[in-house]
Amino acid sequence: MPMPFMPKPDMPPGALTLLILRVLQSGSLHGYAIAQRIHLLSSEVLAVEEGSLYPALQKMLLKGWVTAEWGISETSRKVRFYRLTAAGRKQLQAEISNYDRVTEAIQAILRTA
Amino acid sequence: MGEFLRRLRYLLFHRRFDRELENEMEFHREMAARQGRRNFGNTLRLREQSREAWGWTWIDRLLQDLRYAARILWHSPGFTITALFVLSLGIGVCVSGFTLLNVVALKLLPVRDPSSIVRLDRDAPEIHTSETPYLQFAFYRDHTKSLSAMFATMGAPGMELDQDLQPVSVDYLTANYYSELGAQPAVGRLFDSTRDASPDAPPVVVLNYLFWQRRFNADPGIVGRIIHLNKKPVTVIGVVSSATPSVEGADADVCLPMSKQPYFVEGSKALTDTSDGGAVRMWGRLATGVSAKAAEAELLTLTNELRKIYPKMIWDKQYIRSRPGGHLLMLQPEMYRVFTMIAALLLLIFIVACANLGSLMTARGVAREHEISIRIAIGAGRFRIFRQLFTESLLLAAIGAAGGLALSYAALRIASAYFGNVPPWISFAPDWRVVLFALVMTLTSAIVFGFLPALQIARQRQRKTAVRQVLIGAQIAASCILLIVSTLLVRAVHHVLYSDPGFGYEGVLSINPDLQSHGYTPVQARAYLTQLEDRLRALPGVTSVAESRIPLLGNGFTAYMTIDMDGHPVNVYPNWVDPVFFRTMEIPLLRGRNFQTGEKHVVIVSESLAKRQWPSKDALGQKFGDAKDLVIGIAGDARIKSLNDNDATEIYWAAQSENLPTMTVLVKASGPLDSLATQSKAIVESLDPKLFPYIWTLKSGFRDFTRILENCAIGVSLLGIIAALLSGVGIVGLVAYAISQRTKELAIRIALGAKPGHVLSVVLRQFMLPVAVGAILGGAATAAVSQVLRKVLFGVSNLDPFSYAGGIIVLIAIAIGAALLPARRALRVDPVRALHEE
Repeated sequence: MPMPFMPKPDMPPGALTLLILRVLQSGSLHGYAIAQRIHLLSSEVLAVEEGSLYPALQKMLLKGWVTAEWGISETSRKVRFYRLTAAGRKQLQAEISNYDRVTEAIQAILRTA
Repeated sequence: MGEFLRRLRYLLFHRRFDRELENEMEFHREMAARQGRRNFGNTLRLREQSREAWGWTWIDRLLQDLRYAARILWHSPGFTITALFVLSLGIGVCVSGFTLLNVVALKLLPVRDPSSIVRLDRDAPEIHTSETPYLQFAFYRDHTKSLSAMFATMGAPGMELDQDLQPVSVDYLTANYYSELGAQPAVGRLFDSTRDASPDAPPVVVLNYLFWQRRFNADPGIVGRIIHLNKKPVTVIGVVSSATPSVEGADADVCLPMSKQPYFVEGSKALTDTSDGGAVRMWGRLATGVSAKAAEAELLTLTNELRKIYPKMIWDKQYIRSRPGGHLLMLQPEMYRVFTMIAALLLLIFIVACANLGSLMTARGVAREHEISIRIAIGAGRFRIFRQLFTESLLLAAIGAAGGLALSYAALRIASAYFGNVPPWISFAPDWRVVLFALVMTLTSAIVFGFLPALQIARQRQRKTAVRQVLIGAQIAASCILLIVSTLLVRAVHHVLYSDPGFGYEGVLSINPDLQSHGYTPVQARAYLTQLEDRLRALPGVTSVAESRIPLLGNGFTAYMTIDMDGHPVNVYPNWVDPVFFRTMEIPLLRGRNFQTGEKHVVIVSESLAKRQWPSKDALGQKFGDAKDLVIGIAGDARIKSLNDNDATEIYWAAQSENLPTMTVLVKASGPLDSLATQSKAIVESLDPKLFPYIWTLKSGFRDFTRILENCAIGVSLLGIIAALLSGVGIVGLVAYAISQRTKELAIRIALGAKPGHVLSVVLRQFMLPVAVGAILGGAATAAVSQVLRKVLFGVSNLDPFSYAGGIIVLIAIAIGAALLPARRALRVDPVRALHEE
């Protein structure tokens, strides 16, 4: 039975894809670096587990939002680096504006209700 | 689209992608370990989860399931072989039926552009015929624009070839027939519109391929040789290649150009007759872009134009109906019933096979209880178990269907070699339709036999016997229907062969001089017949000579009218005869008097017609029909033209002078008929050398008829035997399982002193009810639908108690035998050994 990847309970569903797209915007990274970057940039609030990172990356590869190419890691190991494609950039814009709309709406409710 | 292609790449290079993923995750761990973070989780599982994103996991699972299923089946060869045997037989029987239907009616003929060929029939609201007067055909052919070409065939009585005793079959073809079908010669040439279409062209003949091989040893030197057909010299110009099909099964030994018909049948008016008698079967080829409807509309206009020229030839409201013509046989609505009946019988076999296998599967579920419970214990979901079991069924069904395809191909090849008259261009090799049908059968059978048991086992309910009992009941019921129907048919054949048909056919020779074909007028015919009968009566051994307009028990047409009596349609078979007819045919005149020769406005009716038409009155002296003919006599029932129709009735008129050119002469003799036939032929021809009489004994005609019925009975009996065999195999398997399951219990019973009868009843009790219920249901179902069989059950009621009892008893005997075979093992259970086993 297909098993959906499970984000941590505190990460809103769909946010992982958005975050991955966003951290890849500034340049290509390998899988571990993506997880690290998200972890650091969130002031160590968000932790991305392998169990959700790699399924998400595979899905994004399939959708054509990212491509993978071989590179050498800081530990001199051959590893796959992920890079944002044009379609990925478009998707990022769409997801950001979508995210903004949803958070604004939620905020509006939180303020007025 | 891009996404799909990427997905496909994952499928094709999944090993490489999997390695990359593994490598990547390993790196992730290394890095995490450096940072002092511990790793949780199983890499394999994580990788699997990532792979889910590719969307191909179902293939992995399927392959996994298939591998497992193959292993399971391999390790229980007894079950697997039984199951494959049952399935191959069940599917094979259905595939054979479908292959025949495909060859006959679905496949397009291997001719040039078969889909644009239309068969053209002549229709009116009240009348339908497949034959059209030649002049009418010629008019359409010369004027149509919606059809790019028209061609026709005309059947003919057999002809004498040189001095052969056996007549050859003959078709007349329009000269464009072969070129329109795109036929090729094996040697020589075929007819050609420029050379053979004219009535003045030299007489030529084209030989059938099989006939050429049989009669002329495939001698290529035959081309250019002169042979004699009905003593007329004719040049052989070629042989049709073996790959050439014939439309609508017209596969005569020799084919002649239609324009030369008057040359072979001197005095014939077949090509010039302006009355409405049919002569040719016609086909057209739709012009590019023209629909069949448009062609029909144009032909209707032409028909109305033609009515002005030949008013007698065209019926009121006549129109031409088109049907797709590129098939061996065009399915007509009246054939649907026969096809449905055959399909229903074949389907019964399939039901038996599936029910059989289904009950075996549930029984096997009990034996696999241990395995299944372990798998559930270690975390397999019910759906996963169900899917695994169903995959097993699918695998079995697929192998079974492949076996069925092979079996059916082999059986059809053997059957066609046995019957020997299958034209070489007919191939039984499965085409895409047959393969598709087999695939559908695979899926259907897997669902029918595999779904319920798999569900039951996955829910760990395999010890419940309800499903198994329903399945046993179903197969017994279906086998029962087949056995009863076959018993009914066998009884009917027996009845036809050994009971009095109401007339005497032994020692009667039938001579059809075919005077009409040679343009005889009634006066000429009378003179000829009188001379002929005098000569025949003078022959030694001849006791009487009679005339009948309808040819009996042999080649020739049948005419009947359907009269509505009390809301039931009754078929009435008419004949126009002379007074000696009844004595010659040994049909008793029960009451009243005989005709006088040529007497008008009087009829003799058969006893059953009298009873049905005037149930409460004396039929003698009543008036029959629109013509108000007086009933002067009542004859015994003699269903000469409808041996298999219990409901048929007969009516006789005295032959009138206009009937005389179509009369057949019946000669009854006490001596051997062979020499009489030769003598008669000599007499017919000496009186008029133009004539070529068709002569046959009624006995051979009767045998030909019963042979059809016999083949029918053999076919259905074969199905009945297969069904009984399948049920037997299934019951053997089930009882054997039941015993192996309960060995311990039986051992205890035996150890405690149970009697053999008691032990057997413990094992067999669960089978008794379903077998009994199945047999009763099968009998009831047969009785309910048996009405449709009435027309083929001569002299046997469709509710004949003997057949029902016989079918059911045979089936129950088989069931008991099949149950006792393995049940004996139960008696031989050694209590000590059995109880020590665990």
